[in-house]
Amino acid sequence: MVVISILIGCILGAILGMNAPMISYTYSSYLAIAIIAALDSVFGGITSVIKKNFDLKIFITGFFGNAILSILLTILGQKLNVDIYLAAIVVFVGRMFTNLAIIRRYYVDKWTNKTKE
Amino acid sequence: MKNDVKNGKITMTITIALACFILVFVMFMQFKIVNETDITAIETMRETELRTELANWKEKYDETEAKYQETIATIEEYKQTKQSNEATKELMETELEKVNMSLGKTDVEGEGIEVILRETENDEVSQINADDLIVIVNALKLAGAEAISINDERIINMSDIVNINIQNSYKIFIKVNGQRILAPYFIKAIGNQTYLESALLGNGGYVDQLQKQNQDVSIEKLNKVKIKKYNDEIKTKYIE
Repeated sequence: MVVISILIGCILGAILGMNAPMISYTYSSYLAIAIIAALDSVFGGITSVIKKNFDLKIFITGFFGNAILSILLTILGQKLNVDIYLAAIVVFVGRMFTNLAIIRRYYVDKWTNKTKE
Repeated sequence: MKNDVKNGKITMTITIALACFILVFVMFMQFKIVNETDITAIETMRETELRTELANWKEKYDETEAKYQETIATIEEYKQTKQSNEATKELMETELEKVNMSLGKTDVEGEGIEVILRETENDEVSQINADDLIVIVNALKLAGAEAISINDERIINMSDIVNINIQNSYKIFIKVNGQRILAPYFIKAIGNQTYLESALLGNGGYVDQLQKQNQDVSIEKLNKVKIKKYNDEIKTKYIE
């Protein structure tokens, strides 16, 4: 059921996103950083599901909070003429890699256990 | 309890679906934007272009500033040259004055002598003619006269002193500078009085000779001889 909901959400988002009005190129950097933050939250969520300590409130707040915070930081960075968004990307992508490693290990372990049996 | 769990699961599913929806929606939007950057690249390019433009302008400004400073320096230089030019001008003017003076284009005065030749009533005595005047003028010139005039006709380098014979008449007229002059003849000369006088009066001096011929010739030493300027234009036609 969760998988179906994810699929439906993805498809709907894809269709709507394709037909969404164009946003000025200037804002695309904010959007990109928000996407990175959201992806990080998603992978974090998956990791927490694997670790069995998934909390919806934390997921939702992380999903939106991180995105908004990263956008604000990017704006601030542009105002200060410092590329703060680079720091955000480093943090988010780094965390994404650790989360992905955890997920990978979990599934690899699962798979090796299965093959052993 | 079971309902609670079910409710929680539904909300969780919905929220996850919503999150996924937003994520994918934004992602596709971004994809689209990135795809379209070929068009919007103009804008971004414009930004960089503007930057280079700005840099160019700054460079130009610096260049212009340098040029401006250079021009100011040149102007300063010109001002100085102008001042020196003014000095040169003054110098030139004094030079010109001197030249004019020696050319005979200005009235001059100074110490000198005056030779006066008068017509005599005596018929035996020959009339004074141009040759006499020429000899006197030459003698004066030799003695270092700086300015000479005959009856206020200034003798310059192109002056002529000639006899004019009027037909059926014994009388001779003298023309100086193309102007007819009449006796008595006043020959004025500026220069060293002693030299000038001795050139005419000394042994074999022409005035002496004339006096011996009973001509009425006298010489006066004057501390201030005024000699008028040459009245005509000095015209040259063939001198290149």
